[in-house]
Amino acid sequence: MRSSKRSRLALSVLLYAIMGLLTVILLFPFCYMISKSLMTSSEVIQPVPLFFPSVPQFSNYLELFSTGRYLSGFLNTLLIVVCNMIFVPLSASLIAFSFAKLQWRGRGFMFAIMLGTMMLPGAVTQVPLYSLYFTFGWIDTLYPFIIPNLFGGGAVYIFLLTQFMRGIPRDMDSAAKIDGASALRRFLSICLPLCKAVLVYVVVNVFLAYWGDYFGPLMYMHSSEAPKTFALVLFENSTEGDAAMDRANIRMAGGVFMSVFPALLFAIFQKQLIDGVMVGSVKG
Amino acid sequence: MKTFFKNFNARKFFRDNYTGWLFNLPLTVGIVVFTLIPVLFSLIYSFMWRYNGFTFEAWGVHNYALMFTADWGEVSRTFLNTVIYSVVSIPLSLVTSYFLALLVNTSLKGVKVFRVLFYLPVTIPAVVSGLLWKDMFGQTYGIFNRILGLVGIAPFPFFAEAGTSMVSVFIMNLWTVGGGMILWLSAFKNIDKQYYEAVQIEGGGRLAGFWYITIPMSTPMIFYNVIMSTIGTLQYNGPLTYAPNGGRGWDNSLYMYAVKIYQEAIESGMIGYGSALAWCFLIVIGMITVVLFATSKWVFYGEEA
Repeated sequence: MRSSKRSRLALSVLLYAIMGLLTVILLFPFCYMISKSLMTSSEVIQPVPLFFPSVPQFSNYLELFSTGRYLSGFLNTLLIVVCNMIFVPLSASLIAFSFAKLQWRGRGFMFAIMLGTMMLPGAVTQVPLYSLYFTFGWIDTLYPFIIPNLFGGGAVYIFLLTQFMRGIPRDMDSAAKIDGASALRRFLSICLPLCKAVLVYVVVNVFLAYWGDYFGPLMYMHSSEAPKTFALVLFENSTEGDAAMDRANIRMAGGVFMSVFPALLFAIFQKQLIDGVMVGSVKG
Repeated sequence: MKTFFKNFNARKFFRDNYTGWLFNLPLTVGIVVFTLIPVLFSLIYSFMWRYNGFTFEAWGVHNYALMFTADWGEVSRTFLNTVIYSVVSIPLSLVTSYFLALLVNTSLKGVKVFRVLFYLPVTIPAVVSGLLWKDMFGQTYGIFNRILGLVGIAPFPFFAEAGTSMVSVFIMNLWTVGGGMILWLSAFKNIDKQYYEAVQIEGGGRLAGFWYITIPMSTPMIFYNVIMSTIGTLQYNGPLTYAPNGGRGWDNSLYMYAVKIYQEAIESGMIGYGSALAWCFLIVIGMITVVLFATSKWVFYGEEA
């Protein structure tokens, strides 16, 4: 009995040691980025790279936003992200309601089509979408990142919401129906409040998707006069600015700024995010 | 079908179904405008030779012919790179994340904190991680070679040489192992404890529990993720953010198919050729998906399914 207790203790010490070591390894890039973001411009161009700044330069973060490009990039990103965080869950849940709670001809067909779009590689639509947006006059504007998302914002979210709404007991809906509540009424006052957990998942994921997206902006905000998102500014500075290594500290500050919000959101909403993953993968 | 049309009453159909269609309208409009029409136009563009968005020279299969003749060297290279990348990284991430999930699937104190910490690198946006890894993997000025130097290992070229570029991407991807860990953890959580007890009663050990319970019960999750990550990984465009040579890597060692589509269609403005590339891609991905579904007998959907 004693020896088993001792071996259990040894095992847990070993597990802690492994987890500790993994934490150090996995968090090293993050910490290094923070460290480098606090270095002076001469420290980042040392021939032998440094681990830590001699004196942390918090002013780098002020400098980041004193260059107009990053600031306007941040404001554009903010606009896109906020619009999508409002409109995507709203339209997606409206559509999900029609799949989960309404009876109509063509429902199964539309659901199948929607699932089909999930499998469609984005690369196929990117090129013609560029032409389409060009026709609409949307190239080098923020519209491509807002208007298409008024229409559900992606099959994954609609699918998740549908699966969740199907789990809501039918009795609640039928009772309201007998009482004469309209579909809109039932959607707003019965369905939506019950979907809070999934909606949080959708909102957080929408934030993560648009906050970090650089490829979409790279496609549709190509020219130099276009409004840029923060991610695109960072992308352009890091790929075109190889000669200007002295600005690496500012770029790293930009990287830290971009990474802090997703990390915080995950730490706060981890339960909803993990449960959301589960709904998608297990029930799918 | 005949009787359907005979008895079809537009007014009745509208009365019975308009609420559903009304709620569904955003999706219907969205799919038509932003998916169906683009896909259709992409097919049309692919048959337009030298189409740059404004003018073109001829109708025909010239674009497809170009893919398999003059440009075949680059097309096959990008295709091969993409396939190698997917074939290695999908299983690698499934296996490594499984072990990580096992490690944190205990009731030790503080284990939840470790789960969050392990997931943190996944939350770094792609553009930031590209910028960061490019910096850390620098051949002479990178921090990784400084660390290797401290323990007496010769500097590793990472992205600076064609031969080590792809391996470096796999190394880099190990840092996002937390993403798969979360999926495994939720799969574990969904497995009824009773099954493990049953195995124990039958005299089976931990390994038997893993083999006869954990794996079969996780197959729906594995299948879903293999499908989704295959589609996602084949479209991988990450090298744009970290690979030298405009996202191609030295000697095209990191040149991915999706990056080629982007560069041909948007950067060089060859809409027609880019569309042809994209359509071949769609067909290949479609075939792979069909094969995955056709061979999905190993997926276990519980007793009732």
